[in-house]
Amino acid sequence: MVRHVKALIVGSGPAGLTGAIAIAESVGSGEEVVIIDEGIEPGGQLSKQTHKFFGHEGFYASTRGFEIGNLLVKKVKSLGVEIIQQSTVTGIYEDVITVYDRVNNIVHEYLADYLLIASGATERFLTFKNNTLPGVYGAGAVQTLMNQYRVLPGESFLIVGAGNIGLIVAYQLVQAGAQVKAIVEASSRVGGYAVHANKVKRLGIPILLRHTILEAIGKDKVQGAVVAGVDERFKPIPGTEKEFVVDAICLAVGLQPNVELVAQTGAKLVYIPELGGYVPLRDENMKTTVHNVFVAGDLSGIEEATTAMIEGYIAGYNIAQELTGKSFEDKIEKMKRELEEFRRGPFSKKVRDGLRKMGIVFPEGGYREEQQTDRGPVGKLRAIIECPEAIPCNPCETSCPTGAINVGGNINGIPQIDYSKCIGCGVCVMKCPGLAIFMIQEKEEYSLVGVPYELLPVPTNGTKVKLLNFEGKEIANGEVDHVVLNNKGKTHIVFLRVPKGYEDVVRSFRLPEKAEEFICRCEEITKEDIERVIDMGITDYEELRRVLRIGMGPCGGKTCRSLTLQIISEKTGRPISEIQLGAYRPPTMPTPFEAVVKSALSENDEVSENIQGGIENE
Amino acid sequence: MRIKDHPILNVPTEKNYVTFYFEDQPVCGTADDTIASALIANGFDVFGFTEHNHPRGFFCAIGKCSACLVEVDGVPNVRACITPIREGMRVKMQRGRGKPKW
Repeated sequence: MVRHVKALIVGSGPAGLTGAIAIAESVGSGEEVVIIDEGIEPGGQLSKQTHKFFGHEGFYASTRGFEIGNLLVKKVKSLGVEIIQQSTVTGIYEDVITVYDRVNNIVHEYLADYLLIASGATERFLTFKNNTLPGVYGAGAVQTLMNQYRVLPGESFLIVGAGNIGLIVAYQLVQAGAQVKAIVEASSRVGGYAVHANKVKRLGIPILLRHTILEAIGKDKVQGAVVAGVDERFKPIPGTEKEFVVDAICLAVGLQPNVELVAQTGAKLVYIPELGGYVPLRDENMKTTVHNVFVAGDLSGIEEATTAMIEGYIAGYNIAQELTGKSFEDKIEKMKRELEEFRRGPFSKKVRDGLRKMGIVFPEGGYREEQQTDRGPVGKLRAIIECPEAIPCNPCETSCPTGAINVGGNINGIPQIDYSKCIGCGVCVMKCPGLAIFMIQEKEEYSLVGVPYELLPVPTNGTKVKLLNFEGKEIANGEVDHVVLNNKGKTHIVFLRVPKGYEDVVRSFRLPEKAEEFICRCEEITKEDIERVIDMGITDYEELRRVLRIGMGPCGGKTCRSLTLQIISEKTGRPISEIQLGAYRPPTMPTPFEAVVKSALSENDEVSENIQGGIENE
Repeated sequence: MRIKDHPILNVPTEKNYVTFYFEDQPVCGTADDTIASALIANGFDVFGFTEHNHPRGFFCAIGKCSACLVEVDGVPNVRACITPIREGMRVKMQRGRGKPKW
């Protein structure tokens, strides 16, 4: 039986969800508005984004991607829109749309007055030796596994590509507890936002520009990677090869629009490399060359989630307008102005150039480009904003309780801070999606630097740390002064005590390596464990044994006793000869009871028979 | 390897476990796992072999690339990355394009 709906939306990502909201809200009901999606849960790629989004509050700036997904899905459901998951639109024919439902293993037939195709994009692949070896993964795939399923597909990673996705995945891998050996990037500059690059650099992850991957090493699974420098024409330079020992390689080399369904509607495709390759030709209302087929999001040109949401709204309001015959021009115009504002910055140049080829013109510029040089009054606790590029983002401005920060009108503007108004509250540090705001204060003996912190473990006051600069290089020793916890937003501020004069260079820290020095092999007791108990006032070997179980493992203290006595001696200043040695208890090695029983039996044959009989009877 | 602790995401401690079989060995996953996430969490990186005997694992994890095809309860060409696990499910490595059922 063919099911006829008013609007069929393909994809429950940001564009599909906002499209559904726009249609359902404008029509007055979500009835006969259906979203079909391949994934297990709705939200598309939002579900795997753990970072805070840029943009402004109207589009959930400073909210983490997966939380935005949850909010949009809730809204869509509350409007009565049906979301059908685990179902793939497999064909758009002249007479019917076929949908394969994996749960029930059946193909359903649909017809729709209007189609909104928001089928997103697929990760690009890259050619190098052994590129299909298990352990070579798409960056998005690694995000899916770690952030949706809480599974890490490796312990140490090499990332190929320093665009926003490569940079974000590197940071997220460290948050999940993995190690990132390096990010390689063939071009001579980082493609992603500087604030994302700075986040990974100050963790000490090297970004190797003008480098590419030549080979994945391993037989059944990645065990390493060969990378090399490249020349101006991206050709590997012989002799520059180096090997990394990694068990996973993450490819973050771009996306290509999923155009197959829109092509099947008969809509015209055009090849525009700036938009990701073949894309559907469409107008500024997101309408394709087929009168009732609309597109939005990455399918219509590779960009990012906020503009995908705006495009979804524009497409949705237009569909609603055609369905109802009413005008929603005011809403459409508002969204178009949002898009225009978002796309003014330097990072939107590619999208602007691509859309111009379709005859859609977006203006550029009109935002503040100069960076603030004033670093505020020495001695006052204050925020320092290190956001060097024009990106569409303003939570620093909107979150500041005293109105001290402004981005200068256009959302792409570089923020400036009015130090006469800054009260040093740190709210902007916790809100900034780029983790690009720090706190500083010069004191008499030392200086304080507050850094945004989203890793584990959260250090305690007084912890001795290595102080790192912008590049993640160790520059001095310091300690944690205090931590301002932000349990809701999860961006804490760790205030570090740094040597005077270092307040402008310390931007990160490393906790002391927990390389454990074991004393007792059997019970895995470390030197630190023993010293801690001695510090509690227990300096007697027998007492230590009772508290720690040191020397109580299978070896009976053969390896650890003398070392423990030495530690007691060092800590208390008493010579070893004066420290109680402690008892040597039998047996001196683990002895099977069978052997003990046998020895008893051999002395008394009568008992032996009885016992053996007893055992057999059981 | 499962993530035990995370600075941003909740890591549920109460889990509903599901047992399925991979190459006739019992494998333990959670109720939220796909075949791919459960296999990776248990250290199985190779999901099958191509016609030319190259090992295959997952690549895109969103049902697009078809690298992760496995045989489930005798049916080949099932995408491990977007198929939830079920109690008692029998998953086998797929070799080449999969054996016909008849």
